[in-house]
Amino acid sequence: MKTAAHILVIDDEPQILRALRTILTAREFRVSTAGTGEQGLALAAAEQPDLIILDLSLPDMDGVEVCRNLREWTQTPVVVLSVRDSEQDKVRALDIGADDYLTKPFSIDELLARIRVALRHSAPAPARQKTVVRAGPLEIDLVNLAVRRHGEEVKLTATEFRLLAYLAANAGRVLTHRSILAHVWDPADADHVEYLRVFIRQLRKKLEEDPEQPQYILNEPGVGYRFIADE
Amino acid sequence: MKVDPFFSERQQRAIHVLFAIVAALLVTALLYPMRAYLELAIIVLVYFLPVGLSAARWGMIPGIVSAIASFLLINYFFIPPYARFAVHQLQDLVVLLGFLVLSVSVSRLVGRMREGLAVAQARENETARLYELSVSLSRLAGEAEIVSSLERFTVETFLAGRVEVLPHNDAAPTSQAATDSRAGEPPPVLVASMQGSQRLLGEIRIWRGKPLSSAEERLLRAFATQGAQGLERVQLASAQARAKVLEESDRMKTSLLSSVSHELRTPLATIKAAVSSLNSNEVTLDSAARADLLQAIEEETDRLNQLVGNLLSMSRIEAGALKLQQRWNELAEIAASAVRKARAASHSHSISMDIPEELPLVWVDDVLMEQVFVNLIDNSRKYSPEGTSILIKARKRPERMWVQVSNAGPAVSEADLEQIFEKFHRVTAADQITGTGLGLSICKGIVLAHQGQIWAENLERGFAIEFTLPTDIEGKIPRIPDE
Repeated sequence: MKTAAHILVIDDEPQILRALRTILTAREFRVSTAGTGEQGLALAAAEQPDLIILDLSLPDMDGVEVCRNLREWTQTPVVVLSVRDSEQDKVRALDIGADDYLTKPFSIDELLARIRVALRHSAPAPARQKTVVRAGPLEIDLVNLAVRRHGEEVKLTATEFRLLAYLAANAGRVLTHRSILAHVWDPADADHVEYLRVFIRQLRKKLEEDPEQPQYILNEPGVGYRFIADE
Repeated sequence: MKVDPFFSERQQRAIHVLFAIVAALLVTALLYPMRAYLELAIIVLVYFLPVGLSAARWGMIPGIVSAIASFLLINYFFIPPYARFAVHQLQDLVVLLGFLVLSVSVSRLVGRMREGLAVAQARENETARLYELSVSLSRLAGEAEIVSSLERFTVETFLAGRVEVLPHNDAAPTSQAATDSRAGEPPPVLVASMQGSQRLLGEIRIWRGKPLSSAEERLLRAFATQGAQGLERVQLASAQARAKVLEESDRMKTSLLSSVSHELRTPLATIKAAVSSLNSNEVTLDSAARADLLQAIEEETDRLNQLVGNLLSMSRIEAGALKLQQRWNELAEIAASAVRKARAASHSHSISMDIPEELPLVWVDDVLMEQVFVNLIDNSRKYSPEGTSILIKARKRPERMWVQVSNAGPAVSEADLEQIFEKFHRVTAADQITGTGLGLSICKGIVLAHQGQIWAENLERGFAIEFTLPTDIEGKIPRIPDE
């Protein structure tokens, strides 16, 4: 990161706060911490951080509510932290505007990757607008609506392309089933995960080296899909 | 339950009295044409017939009424002066009064006998009903069944309009408020409490047009006692069952705790040792050694995490709190993400998949199904030699999806094939294999929650866990858009 990005960490566990503060400061981020949802919201308003790491289980309020509250007035990227077995909370947070999630315990590499992606997607428009997304042998041209694999054009149907384009434009970020279905099909179809399964299978067949062991269109059970592009 | 007798008791009595008079009138009609040929003694004798019959058939009162009616009729029709209530000859008067006294006495006697018979019959009936009730209650194992059976018996026996059996479920009797809440409806004619040996177990409330006779009241109280005994027996049985479950779960917890603390300590010991040596100023480590220790810490942390996750899943399954988030899924996709995780954790075995592309979607919870695959892969790793391969195979079978995770592990004895899914069961001695023995029982819990089946099988070469998932779930069909 060029200028030190400012990260606000909202988590009620002092050990996690201490570890994240140490690790992120070492990576040259500016770090603020809050132990409660209320304190976190106050700090978010006062300090206008570049990114917020938000634990979903807070002592004073539901983390999903904190997220909803934040989204009422800011588009600052939010990465939520949750424990295993609370997929629904994660998905709820993502559906109301959180950018990504991590399941505790997570590795720092994962955290840094999430932070990187989230900061990139929140960057001012010109820097963000990638017109061509590259992932291994794949080249996805979002402007000219074309996909090439090893330089050769791949024929996609209109729906397949809409799906791929949505995934690729959000490369690195997790997209929930609902969000993809609402965006690519129709908000009324947001519950029809079966559409997604079928079209993802078709896309993988056309794009992945080994559709059984996909490298670019990854599945996140219970949550959604994540497109992995070159950095 | 409601039973409506055709006539009320009072109406019935009036009808019987009427019958008694009619009987006397009939005899009169029969004898009148022959009165010239018959002596008074014969006529009087014949009149004993309606009196005796009425008393025997309808009781004392109709009998006496019939006697008086006969007395008047004889006087009017058969004793000169005819067609007048008068007697001229002393002899006739004696006969007539003798008839009255005798016939009334006969009526009373026969009536009493009849009543005695009725009481005896009622007693016999009572005993029979009570016996039937106790036999019927003794066969029942549930409180609700006992309550409804008792209600049915009471209604039938007492011809009651309505009967309620209210069991008291806790030590406190039902509050007055509950009774008052149905104000406006008439109060029951009798409330018999069901007294158990320790406490009040409930009560029987009965509604009926006429109040209960003392005999009926006695019978109802006997019913209540039977009911109380039945309820007490059922409650005792369920308390015993609960105690057994508690005892079982206590044993389970002890076993879990010892297994878990051992399992938690092992990775903790590794982590502690590695971190403290990295932290130590006394030992100098070359970079390879440092990397090795760090790797060990990371692996052990993952193991701990998996262990905690399994414990959590197990407790959910045990508590019946496993909530399935079912949606349409591709089995291959779920298996692939489990394989991806397994490969990231270790390269000890080669893992491959054989899942045909054209398999239909399955209606499952993808997070839990992934856990099944992760646990099955993990299990295969523990029990098969390093460097061998693990294969995940899936096929469509009629009405179900069949999945097999096989490895090159040794065969398992017949007995263990069944036992393998029990909690804390480990085929090999505990020290050789790490793990709490929870993995497979979690798989079983998840597969069963999906209405599937899971079993273990020895293969020609190797060992496999197989499971099936239903593909036809309440006729659900995935909606696939054409484009």
